[in-house]
Amino acid sequence: MHALEIRNLSHWYGTRRILNKVNLTIAPGQIVALVGPSGCGKSTLLRAILGTDPPSEGEVLAEGRLVTEPNRDVGIVYQNYSLYEFLSAEENVAFGLKLDKTSLISRFIALPAYLRKRREHLQMARDFLKKVGLEAAMGHYPAELSGGMRQRVAIAQAFILQPKIVLLDEPFGALDEATREDLQLMLLRFYQENLKAKQRGERPQYTIIIVTHELNEAIYVADRVIGLSRFHTEGSQGAMVVYDRPCPVFHPDDPKDLSKFVEQREELRSAVFDPNYVKHHSKYVSFWDELSNDALAVAAMNSR
Amino acid sequence: MIRRPIPRWLVVLLGILGVFSLLAVYGGLSYRQSLVNEKQKVIPGLQAFGDGVTRMTAPQGSEETPKPSMLVTDLRATYWRLFLGTGLGVVLSVVVGIAMGAYRWIAAPLAPIISFLAKIPPTAMLPIYFVLVGSDQTMFTTMVALGIFFTMAQSVYQSIVNDVKDEAIDKAYTLGASDPEIVYEVIWKQVLPPILDNIRLQIGPAMIFLLAAEMLVGAEGMGYRIRMESRVLNMSIVYIYLCILGFTGLIGDWCLLWLRKKLCPWYDR
Repeated sequence: MHALEIRNLSHWYGTRRILNKVNLTIAPGQIVALVGPSGCGKSTLLRAILGTDPPSEGEVLAEGRLVTEPNRDVGIVYQNYSLYEFLSAEENVAFGLKLDKTSLISRFIALPAYLRKRREHLQMARDFLKKVGLEAAMGHYPAELSGGMRQRVAIAQAFILQPKIVLLDEPFGALDEATREDLQLMLLRFYQENLKAKQRGERPQYTIIIVTHELNEAIYVADRVIGLSRFHTEGSQGAMVVYDRPCPVFHPDDPKDLSKFVEQREELRSAVFDPNYVKHHSKYVSFWDELSNDALAVAAMNSR
Repeated sequence: MIRRPIPRWLVVLLGILGVFSLLAVYGGLSYRQSLVNEKQKVIPGLQAFGDGVTRMTAPQGSEETPKPSMLVTDLRATYWRLFLGTGLGVVLSVVVGIAMGAYRWIAAPLAPIISFLAKIPPTAMLPIYFVLVGSDQTMFTTMVALGIFFTMAQSVYQSIVNDVKDEAIDKAYTLGASDPEIVYEVIWKQVLPPILDNIRLQIGPAMIFLLAAEMLVGAEGMGYRIRMESRVLNMSIVYIYLCILGFTGLIGDWCLLWLRKKLCPWYDR
């Protein structure tokens, strides 16, 4: 089953159509980068997936379940306002477990049982924080953490509940270059865990849509890039998916080879960002075809 | 240089110096006035204060039916009204403020009414309270409670609008929160420090409303006593009562600051 399926999604603000018949399917374990010019409707699409601003037309399904309001199937990490200031790092990460696994009433009337669960939840949160390299800051409040540490905590907070998909809304936009690279490597490590889970025949834990302005970042951390744009033959009707192609998978231990990006980055620039390059919207939408071609090639190799 | 930090010992020393300067100025004025009129009571000296304390603390009534002293009677009346009125006002304003901050359909009809009523000075509303609730204990409690309710409900509502971002609420939903959990676990916990600060700020106005009401219609209480004693120029008692009021405000302020530090250790970081 698809982790996320978007069917014929359109959205209007008043009479202005922002998104026009967006169709998208994302498989479990994919890390998808969403790019596009400013004002093309990325945030609108993200809010529709999150359920805070349902589409005017069409539907969003998270593992087959219709998304009509925010719920625990779809997680989110914002660029800002990511953490609850009144909770320490470990409490922030355990917050979802507390909300999801215990009820408000049980926290008062069945206190001993709740406290037992609470200890387990905090231990799970500490384990996850260790995984993202934050064991030293567990008891600190968000105000005492750097921007990069806060985003790590926010990512741990979103993933600990194992939602069907997590949306990262320009998560590294406000960070310095070194911290940004650290966090990109963290996503690459998540991807490696996904691959291992697939090999074991398990459902991969990390399915991500990352919205970013940085094309290099998009190609580096994702295994698939999606471009949303109005620059196509039906652009007056709103933005559509005009680019959907796989991108090279990097291993976190490999050096960052920028030369591998150049060709795809230039292709993205012209296909998604160049207002003078008007083409049919499906010209660069070939992810699933390329994937099935690759699968056929692998099958042919194996049969020889 | 502006805002240059000074050492802690200097802060303490200057504070003590300030208090002693005030006492010295008072002593000088009292002495000067005593030279003009030996029996003056406007700026009483130590002897007059001693007499005042004796009078205030002397048991009232007869030997067969003794009654508490003037001070105990007044303190009991005023503190009970203040405690009851402030408590009621705070609880009401927090409940209404949070409901308005959480649900727009509650804020829409209430916000204009509350912001209008918050602009009317509660002391000017006294005649309405007399008519509606009489002039007994209920009137004092209502006066204090409603006096702080409108301003505080508006502040709590504004704190939620400003401090609790939509993103924080949406995120809580994605973490599995229900509506009551968002109210308690997100909104309440986020705005608790501004609520405690608001209560601190409301102690002063609450005392003003109560004292004004006691001065006008009270038969006991600190406001009543200040008015009665100042009529006959018993300023020693008036000054002592004013000092008690000042300390009451200070202690309330410290208690709420301490409570904020205990309940919201994250707030000052």
